[in-house]
Amino acid sequence: MKEYEFTLKFMLQDASIDPEIFIERLGAEGCDDALVGLGQNGRIAMTFNREASSAYQAISSAICDVKRVIPDARLIEATPDLVGLTDVAELLGFSRQNMRKLMLGSGGTFPAPLHDGKPAIWHLAKVLGWLKERNKYQIDDALLEVSNTNMQFNIVKEIKEIDPGLQDDIRTLIA
Amino acid sequence: MSRKKHSKQDVENALQYAEAKGWRIEVGGSHAWGKMYCPYNDKDCRCGEFCITSIWSTPRNAANHAKQIRRVVDHCAGGYSESED
Repeated sequence: MKEYEFTLKFMLQDASIDPEIFIERLGAEGCDDALVGLGQNGRIAMTFNREASSAYQAISSAICDVKRVIPDARLIEATPDLVGLTDVAELLGFSRQNMRKLMLGSGGTFPAPLHDGKPAIWHLAKVLGWLKERNKYQIDDALLEVSNTNMQFNIVKEIKEIDPGLQDDIRTLIA
Repeated sequence: MSRKKHSKQDVENALQYAEAKGWRIEVGGSHAWGKMYCPYNDKDCRCGEFCITSIWSTPRNAANHAKQIRRVVDHCAGGYSESED
């Protein structure tokens, strides 16, 4: 068993509901390994430290626990996954300057961002993988596993936006 | 200080840390021990969902719970770096 740390953000179907009303049952249904944030109406955020046999086991069981209490809660983001350079630096205990230097000095091998803007956004798993493979950095296995699993959840969550009529064509174009 | 102490020393220490940074603690609940409120709980708030955070009476692991509470406090307006990516 390993301990996995991750944050799940949910949207409640009825935004007028104060998520406060779910707290006691979340405690009773096994979410006592999470810190629960209630700061935004219609939202609930939970940072878990969950022991499990895999990151997928940890994250999927956490979602099941939440859904038992709030069946219509919709996962809006699993973190850490989508990150800027500052987030990566903070997660790894690097300075941001150091992180930037690694990126700029990579000779073009640094993973391409998902969005190149201010801030630029990457999938954390891609950056961690690059640091591990290319630079032989010691990356915490649990963090790598969580970031990979979160990426899967966040991508699948978007699949409903896909236009089936264009899918094959687009796949060819971006291959 | 008039509020009830949390029975887990790690968590109590983290709550005192939060209070020292201006967070307000409200006690009440059964599984839930209480809640803490960010001092910037308005448009300037930067902790997002965690500007109101629920605290368990008997967290599965008190040390983890305490660590998470401290992290929320450190990420709040006071502790957050303004650096741009």
